[in-house]
Amino acid sequence: MDDGAKLVQLRTRRNEPRLWRDADELVHGLAAGGPEFSEDGAPDGWSRRTFMKLLGASVALAALDGCDRTVPEEIVPYSVRPTDVQPGVPRWYATAMMLDGFASGLLVECHEGRPTKVEGNPDHPASRGATTIFEQALVLGLYDPDRLRGVEHEGAPSTWEALAERLRRPRADRGAGLRLLLPPTTSPTMLRLVERARQVHPALAVTFHQAMPAVENSVAGARVAFGRELQPIYDFAAADVVVVIDADPLCDAPMAPAYARAWAARRRIGEPSQTPSRLYAVECAPSVTGMCADHRLRRRSSDVAEVLRAIAGDIASLPAAVRFGAPVADRFSRAVAHDLLARPAGTTLVVVGERQPPAVHALGFAINAALGNVGRTVRFIDALLPAGDRDLGALVAEMRDGKVDTLVTVDGNPVYDAPADLELGRALGSVADRIYVGLHANETARASSWAAPLAHAFESWGDGRAYDGTLSLIQPMIQPLHGGRTPSEILALLGGERHPDARRLVVETHGTGFDVDAALAAGVVPGSAAPPVTPAAPDAAAIARSLLTLPRPIDGTIEINFRRSPTVHDGRFANNGWLLEQPQPTTKLTWDNAVLVSPATAARLRVHTQDLVEVELDGRRVRGPIFVTPGHADYAVTLDLGWGRQGAESLARGRGFDAYRVRTTRSPAFGSGRVSRAGGTRELAMTQRQFDMHGRPIALTTTLDEFRRDPDFTDDYKGPEPSLMPAVKYEGLQWAMSIDLSICTGCSSCMVACQAENNVPIVGKEGVLHRRQMHWLRIDSYFEGSLEDPGVVHQPMLCQHCETAPCEYVCPVNATVHSSDGLNEMIYNRCVGTRFCSNNCPYKVRRFNWFNWHKRVPANAGAAALQHNPDVTVRDRGVMEKCSYCVQRIRRADIHANNEGRDIKPGEVVTACQQACPTGAIQFASLSHADSPMVKWRGEKRAYAVLNDQGTRPRTMYLARLTNPNPALAADHERAEQK
Amino acid sequence: MKTVFPAWSDTAFRVALVGGVLAVTAVVVGPMIYVRTPFHQKREYPLDQPVQFDHRHHVRDDGIDCLYCHSGARKTPYAGIPATEVCMGCHAQVWPDSVQLEPVRRSYFSGEPLRWSRVHDLPDYVYFNHSAHVNKGVGCVTCHGRVDRMALDYQVASLAMGWCLDCHRSPEKNLRPLSEVTSMTWQPPPGRAGDALARKLAAQYRVRHLTDCTTCHR
Repeated sequence: MDDGAKLVQLRTRRNEPRLWRDADELVHGLAAGGPEFSEDGAPDGWSRRTFMKLLGASVALAALDGCDRTVPEEIVPYSVRPTDVQPGVPRWYATAMMLDGFASGLLVECHEGRPTKVEGNPDHPASRGATTIFEQALVLGLYDPDRLRGVEHEGAPSTWEALAERLRRPRADRGAGLRLLLPPTTSPTMLRLVERARQVHPALAVTFHQAMPAVENSVAGARVAFGRELQPIYDFAAADVVVVIDADPLCDAPMAPAYARAWAARRRIGEPSQTPSRLYAVECAPSVTGMCADHRLRRRSSDVAEVLRAIAGDIASLPAAVRFGAPVADRFSRAVAHDLLARPAGTTLVVVGERQPPAVHALGFAINAALGNVGRTVRFIDALLPAGDRDLGALVAEMRDGKVDTLVTVDGNPVYDAPADLELGRALGSVADRIYVGLHANETARASSWAAPLAHAFESWGDGRAYDGTLSLIQPMIQPLHGGRTPSEILALLGGERHPDARRLVVETHGTGFDVDAALAAGVVPGSAAPPVTPAAPDAAAIARSLLTLPRPIDGTIEINFRRSPTVHDGRFANNGWLLEQPQPTTKLTWDNAVLVSPATAARLRVHTQDLVEVELDGRRVRGPIFVTPGHADYAVTLDLGWGRQGAESLARGRGFDAYRVRTTRSPAFGSGRVSRAGGTRELAMTQRQFDMHGRPIALTTTLDEFRRDPDFTDDYKGPEPSLMPAVKYEGLQWAMSIDLSICTGCSSCMVACQAENNVPIVGKEGVLHRRQMHWLRIDSYFEGSLEDPGVVHQPMLCQHCETAPCEYVCPVNATVHSSDGLNEMIYNRCVGTRFCSNNCPYKVRRFNWFNWHKRVPANAGAAALQHNPDVTVRDRGVMEKCSYCVQRIRRADIHANNEGRDIKPGEVVTACQQACPTGAIQFASLSHADSPMVKWRGEKRAYAVLNDQGTRPRTMYLARLTNPNPALAADHERAEQK
Repeated sequence: MKTVFPAWSDTAFRVALVGGVLAVTAVVVGPMIYVRTPFHQKREYPLDQPVQFDHRHHVRDDGIDCLYCHSGARKTPYAGIPATEVCMGCHAQVWPDSVQLEPVRRSYFSGEPLRWSRVHDLPDYVYFNHSAHVNKGVGCVTCHGRVDRMALDYQVASLAMGWCLDCHRSPEKNLRPLSEVTSMTWQPPPGRAGDALARKLAAQYRVRHLTDCTTCHR
């Protein structure tokens, strides 16, 4: 029996659902695969003669390229060596990153005073040692060439002294014409300095503005439900059933890494006898959390509340007033309600997302209270983000009325991301002095009379609170590269201080008894978390009243949805090359945003992916390309915010389209509008179709029931196949990796971490279109089931470090060989670029440098080179590269251990991807570390090797994805599959 | 009958044949010889330095240990060129007015570093770690030669990969007790005793035969 027949038979026996990669493949049976691995061989239109000519010329030119002039090198020692700095020895500093007003704890790796890599602080409650892509990419933002470089006044170079003098200038009107526009913040120092500025200017009004706030609606919902401004903190580790309503707590939330870790702890099982938690999701556009759900109901955002009300209708312990008027439950909501009720009190959890109005949050809190979850899976603390004196609308009205003569904007980019109906840019015209202190030469800087550089997080002293209230200090790793000042210094100047010093301002905030050194060393202040609040019973009448205010579900028209971009957030990271080239977790789109639409609605609109459409909302129009998104709700489109920037930032400018232009105060998250064909197309750089399973068992998935029925279902996909290669000796340290697909959320932190650690360049949109992206680690997403309602399997794919590696025996120059500790080594200085290895690699994880990307793409060159990890070679043109299992970290640990006369301890080597992974889905260790999770996982039933039948004996093993569907809804699943 | 080729054409052909073979051999062998010359490997000739630093004087006359200035060698990847403050530690008192030391004083008081020419220049894709060698009993002199006899420092070893591998394949012959690492004159005991000491040190310092590519190339 040949292999193909065997596979087909296996698949039939296992009744595995067919997995697919994108809509075209499912509908038309189109296999993916493009120019790089095209099946018809040579490009068209070339004669053999031309080919030989070009080959000859290439060889001659390649020989010329080998001629290199050796540049004499210098050694430049310190004049006076700073204490603790030893050349060649990296140091880690604990600091924090502020995003959405909340701190997440970081450890920043510095080489000779140069920040190069970000890790999560394991002691910090919001990170637990992991990071999101934003934290990983923060270090590249430090070296952004388009940061503001000096103080400018009316377009002419000016000085900090002049601006400081302007900020300190006494006012006769007690500050009545002075306004302060800040991003929301929990920083005690910032809030103290705002108050001090208020002492000098009593009539000063402060506005906190963020385009898509992180907790505003949940706090407002708590005010409705409990009569008190509270923010919820979830405990996913204690929840057996989680219902996520239009939220993305595993990827896009202030505590996302910590939430994801807790969720994974309850979700991952080793033995069939254990039971993982169950996740339901109701949402419009597929989110990271939604795509992990066992049951995902796609609904327009305006219909989501109805689903939750229907669920509430079946929960008898809820007050009748809250249940009153609930729609009749359909199968989904009834099944969810029954599942919730079947569990012991306090073991379930309902999470409502920020895009939903406060009433839905209030209802969610009421359900949690009725199920006994309050104090168990959901805790409350007092809301941490202070409210401003004015909201942005009121501020703009004042500006228009000419009541404001000076507007001080620190950080953020309000001219770009304010709701379009406010027309902030025009209102600014009536303000005489528009002072902007920010990171980038962006839209707001351009519209301001004063533009001054803000210090980057890695150049600043500061402080901030995590989402649970834990205090962290922010310390600088490097002097401000462009002479930036911290936000606290700007506020202090406004408060009349003559020579503000950011460190002193922080120390003053926390008083004399505060141990600054201990707080800096640990990265957190122990015991500073906010005390939990036990809320009163939910106010049923208030919740019922607020439910009446919910907008009617939108009929007849198309719902326009806005969400923060998964990669550039609200636009603040739009000039970060790593994030621009990062395939967005659910669409695998790079370098662009798109109008996401379901296949059925696309068919109705008669549009295909890449067709340009015009989206109209409240009379405002914007044009963007369609992206047909399996799993999107019908009669709705989703636009990612943060793109289409018009500032002076070279990478961000003109990428994608600006969805803020149609977003108004009336419809901050969704509204009813129209979508029509605009004619024409825009080419989108997608990585989704570049790799294909070709019908082979690559990503395995099973359900809990099937797993219990047939626990040995992976047996055919593991175990050594016969090989002619010499046997591997398992002596000493033998490095290996295990990846559990069950808890991989596809959030992509690992990809950016790998890029940062291993000096992986970006290639630009054109490069991605040619399939030349250099990511050593990619996340392949395979869809399962129907086009309309797919499940998804995310599979991190990196070099498998095969014991009998097919790449090794085709290399004519021994540039890829095996090490004694089980690594598949890639030796750049030997590689001559035949690319035989890549052709022979069944996993397609080898990436070829078609150009010297570090020179060819300007974003990789210049200051960005300061980010490079000095322990990893920067690859030149013409060499192959691939995942090395972070060999530089292995060798560093090895030398360190050997200098101490011992072996490497388990857990001493952590790869960059493993360290960044919020759920801990990637585990790395030596096979000799028998107690490590890595070794234990490989022994579990779900473990298998990808393409085991190829006889490659990969060192990386995967654990099949396991879902835990509700049997009451399983029939739905099967019906969808048959379709 | 008139011959087509003159009589000397045979000779010419033979000469051309031999010449051709020689030329082809030269094209292949020439560069191979060239890369092994001290000229190409930059051996044996000192580089210009900002300060006429004399190792002979500091090592031999003053008896300063290598690690006093190159303190990184034991614990870090780089042996390190001393910061100017280390020079001034002595030269604030010794020869404080020397003209030759003017650049040192200028560096110390201005904070501008001295810019030394790199003598031992490994390619950028080689990751050499001093601490890994020093802690295994590889002496300074083994790679850097008799620095105590050099006026301006120059490279002695070829630093070619074959030279590295010779030792990585059989490091025992280059081991010495850790107490003698910085000694310029230590010699192993002759004959069997030397071999026994080498074996003993290799076992004691857990010396391995590391020939994996990623030992040095990452």
